[in-house]
Amino acid sequence: MHICKKSSTFAAANYNWYMVNDKMANHLLVIKDLHASIGGKEILKGVNLVINEGEVHAIMGPNGAGKSTLSAVLTGNPAYEVTSGEVYLKGENLLEMAPEVRARAGVFLSFQYPVEIPGVSMTTFMRTAINEKRAYEGKEPLSAKEFLALMREKKKLLELPDKLNNRSVNEGFSGGEKKKNEIFQMAMLEPCLSILDETDSGLDIDALRIVAEGVNRLKTPQNASIVITHYQRLLDYIVPDFVHVLADGQIVKTGDKTLALELEEHGYENL
Amino acid sequence: MKISKGDIFDRVFINEPGLNLHIEQEAGSQVKIVVINLENPTSPDLEISNQIFIEQLGEGCQTEVYALAFLHGEEKVTTETHVLHAVGGGRSNQLVKFVLDDNARGRFIGDLKIAQDAQQTEAHQTNRNLLLSDTAEMRTQPQLEIYADDVKATHGASTGQLDESALFYMQQRGIDPKKARQLLVNAFMKEVLNKISDETIKENLLNAIDSVIEEA
Repeated sequence: MHICKKSSTFAAANYNWYMVNDKMANHLLVIKDLHASIGGKEILKGVNLVINEGEVHAIMGPNGAGKSTLSAVLTGNPAYEVTSGEVYLKGENLLEMAPEVRARAGVFLSFQYPVEIPGVSMTTFMRTAINEKRAYEGKEPLSAKEFLALMREKKKLLELPDKLNNRSVNEGFSGGEKKKNEIFQMAMLEPCLSILDETDSGLDIDALRIVAEGVNRLKTPQNASIVITHYQRLLDYIVPDFVHVLADGQIVKTGDKTLALELEEHGYENL
Repeated sequence: MKISKGDIFDRVFINEPGLNLHIEQEAGSQVKIVVINLENPTSPDLEISNQIFIEQLGEGCQTEVYALAFLHGEEKVTTETHVLHAVGGGRSNQLVKFVLDDNARGRFIGDLKIAQDAQQTEAHQTNRNLLLSDTAEMRTQPQLEIYADDVKATHGASTGQLDESALFYMQQRGIDPKKARQLLVNAFMKEVLNKISDETIKENLLNAIDSVIEEA
C-alpha cells in the first residue's frame, strides 16, 4: 500500500511515483490527483490512493470533507464532474467506463441512502444485475433454479427473511434492513472493490454486527474494501489495514487502525 | 347498462378506441373495469377517447375503475371517468395512469360527484403520469363535487419523470440504463395490470411488457 500525495510531507518520504505508473495493473485501484466538483464547486482537490487486493481501507473525515463525493465519483454518478486526475481499476481507465460497466467490472457501492424502487421485485432486480455481470464476463445466464439457490444461500449470510424475494427493492424496509440488503447484494455480485459509504449510519448494534460479519465473511485475498465512516465504531467490527483522513478534499493523514482510535479521542480539529 | 342488485360486473377493455360505457348500479352491486391502451390499433392520428359513466343508484355499491395508457409517437388518448354516488354507503376507487413518450398527448378528466343523500360514502381518485420525453404532454382535470358531509374522499394527481436516483442505483448494480428504464416503466404500469382479475389476460399483458425488457 502506498499513499500518493505529492504535496504532503508524509507521502513524499519513500514514495516512488514512477514505479506505480509502470505497474498500474499490479494494483487493484490507483487514484492519481483526482479533482471533482458538483455544481461548479470543487469538492475533491487532489486525492491520491493506491489499493491492493486483500486490503481494507478506512476513509474517515469530518462532514463535507468529500468522503461521499469520492464514492460517487468512483462509481460514475452523473451528478459529479471529474475535472482532472486519473483512476485505474486493474490497470483499466475507470473514469472512461459507464457506471454499469464499472459495476460489472467489480466496483460495488453500498449506498449511504439505498434507493426504494416500488414495483421492481428483489428477484427481478438481482437476477437482471447478476446476468448482466455474467454476460460481461462471457458466462451463460443463471437458470431460475441456480439463481434462487444463490439467493437462498446469500440471504442466510445476512439473516434476511425468505419473503425478501417478492418484495420491491428497499420499499418499506427499515434502516437496518436496507443496509443488510446492500451487503446482501454485495454477496450476490462478488465485487473486487466494495465501497461501503457510511454503512453504519442508522444501524442499531445488532444490525451493525450482522452487517459487519457479512462484510468480513465476504473478504478474500482477491478483493478489497473502502470503508467510509464518520465514526470509529464500525472499525471495531471491520478492522482496516489502513486508515486515511480525508479533509477538505485531500487525504491529509494515513495510518493503521490506531489512527481511528486517535481520531475518536481527539477529533479532526488537531490535524 | 344496468347491474342488478348484488351482481358483479368485472371487465377488461384492451385497445378499444371509442369505448363509451354507461353503467347504473343497483344496491350491493360490484363493478370493476380495467381499461388498457397499450397501442393505437387504428390510425395514429386518431384521437382515442374512453368515456366511462358509472352511477351508484342503490346503497352499498362498490365501483373500481383502473386505466392505463402507454403512448408513443403522436398518439393521443383521453380518458374520462364520471362516477356518481347518488345514495349512501357506497365505495369507489379510481386509479388512472399514463405513460407518455415522444410527442404523445394524454388527458384525464375525472369527475367524481357525491350527492347530498350519499352519506357514508368512501371515494378515492388517483391519477399518476410518467413523462418519458420532454415533448410529451399530460393534461389532468379532476373535478370533485361533494354535497354530503359524512364522507371519506381523497384525490391526488401527479405527473413526473423517471426517478434518476433509482436509475443510478440500478446502473451501479450493472444494469444497462435502457433496461433499468424499462424495469421502472413496467413497475409503474404493473400497478394497474395487477388489478385485472382474469389471470390469463393479466399474465399475457405482464409477459408482453416484460418481453420488451428481454429485447432491450
